[in-house]
Amino acid sequence: MTASPETETNTAIVKLEDVHLSFGQTQVLKGIDLTIYKGDAFSIIGPSGSGKSTILRCINALVTPQSGKITVAGTRVDQLTKESERIQLRKRVGIVFQQYNLFPHLTVLDNIVLAPTKILGADKTATVKLARELLEKVRLSEKADAYPGQLSGGQQQRVAIARALAMKPELVLFDEVTSALDPETVGEVLWVIRDLIRDGMTSILVTHEMRFAEEISDTVVFTENGRIVDHGSPQQIFHTADNPRIRQFVGGLSGGGRGAVRDGEGI
Amino acid sequence: MQDMNLTSLFIELMARLGLNYEFLATGYEAQIWRDGFLTTLYLVAVTIPVSLIVGLIFAACLTSNRPWLSAPVRGFVELTRNTPTLVQLMFSFLVLNTVVSNMVGGAQNNPLSPFFWVVAVVGLHVAALHAEAIRGGIEAVPSSMIEAARGMGFSPFEIMRYVQIPLAFRSSLPAIVNGLISLVKSTTVGNAIAVSEITYASIMVWTQRDNVVELMIVLLAFFSLINFVVARVGSWVERRLAIPGYGL
Ligand SMILES: Nc1ncnc2c1ncn2[C@@H]1O[C@H](COP(=O)(O)OP(=O)(O)OP(=O)(O)O)[C@@H](O)[C@H]1O
Ligand SMILES: [Mg+2]
Repeated sequence: MTASPETETNTAIVKLEDVHLSFGQTQVLKGIDLTIYKGDAFSIIGPSGSGKSTILRCINALVTPQSGKITVAGTRVDQLTKESERIQLRKRVGIVFQQYNLFPHLTVLDNIVLAPTKILGADKTATVKLARELLEKVRLSEKADAYPGQLSGGQQQRVAIARALAMKPELVLFDEVTSALDPETVGEVLWVIRDLIRDGMTSILVTHEMRFAEEISDTVVFTENGRIVDHGSPQQIFHTADNPRIRQFVGGLSGGGRGAVRDGEGI
Repeated sequence: MQDMNLTSLFIELMARLGLNYEFLATGYEAQIWRDGFLTTLYLVAVTIPVSLIVGLIFAACLTSNRPWLSAPVRGFVELTRNTPTLVQLMFSFLVLNTVVSNMVGGAQNNPLSPFFWVVAVVGLHVAALHAEAIRGGIEAVPSSMIEAARGMGFSPFEIMRYVQIPLAFRSSLPAIVNGLISLVKSTTVGNAIAVSEITYASIMVWTQRDNVVELMIVLLAFFSLINFVVARVGSWVERRLAIPGYGL
């Protein structure tokens, strides 16, 4: 099931073509097209309920659209028929949610080691070593033996990121990972993501941190009402968009000066 | 003959208090009575793990979204919770056991003993109680945590095994310990189908000796002791599994 190694730098790793999805009567995605290139940072912004989380869930095969083509790292996700095939895909695509959702009964280290060893069947010693390296990367080495309940929100979210990375994913999806955090801890999580993107990890971010999205993204798309209304460079979306809705949205969220990483905009 | 001397000393001392333990000096009745204690301990030791394992399986079935798994278990849990254990035991022994006997060509070929039926009936009855408690714990695991595990590639079974059961077991431990205490007491239904556990053995002795009070004192002390141990082990496990920084 592994993808053929991508050689060119500009290869698409995720491609959605005319994806339609409804939950019952509610049409949530009404024809989504996107292409995400390997090594890119790709941000999805847009109002609440516009379908951002649903797009991520489609990429990770957590939900199955009614129609459209989805290709992720060489796999035609829309053609997967068995849950076991979807599970194989999810192992290759990391996802981090707003609620960090660490396993409360396991230490930080065990949270990171559980899935690679039990789900992927990776070697325990090697995985523990990797987990310690990842903890160092997210600057939480000293918390290896703590339990999630003993950590702050920002610390838990950094562990959640390390946990996703321990699966050695080909890309990582971030769904408003700072929205539930106290303003003081937003920055430390953004630092970790910024480092990750610098290291070349393909990242798809749903975020309300406009300044951060502007800084780190290669491409930004704006979603509204189940459609992609506009896409382009951060410069195009944040500064020269023609669409008044985008101007209003971007302006509204970053209204009070854009000097610092904004806080409290998540919800 | 150290043992013999101790026994007669005990009988003598008790006689001074007006309690008649003379049967202990006899071979036959004393033997029945001692075997009764062992049988009860043996029943408890076998039925506890049976109830726990089956309880976990039942809880997993109850929370499954496959109706062919959840519906039969739901039916069984309701039936067993709402009917007397004694009636279930009689039914199992008199009806199911006979069916088995007929299937294997006669009672002499039937490998299922009365002891087996007590373990099965009491074990499954208490398993149903455990299952309800554990199901509550499984359903209390936040759906966002389950989605996070799914997102990492956990199968439904792996989510159950590594996330839901460990959390549910912790939150339902107090209820499980209560279930085990009632399990210990319920093993006495065995006397209805002549399993010679301690109440059956005691009845045998006191109908001969007319020493109900003497045997009752020991019986009550014996069950209190077992359940004291069960409760202590329960709270030890609870402490061992307590999660730092978590409200359990
Ligand atoms: N499982 C579901 N069943 C029914 N409706 C759903 C489900 N998940 C999402 N929806 C609906 O789909 C729409 C899009 O949801 P989605 O979570 O993708 O939005 P979003 O852009 O991520 O919003 P937010 O910024 O609030 O997170 C919403 O109207 C939501 O109510
Ligand atoms: Mg969302």
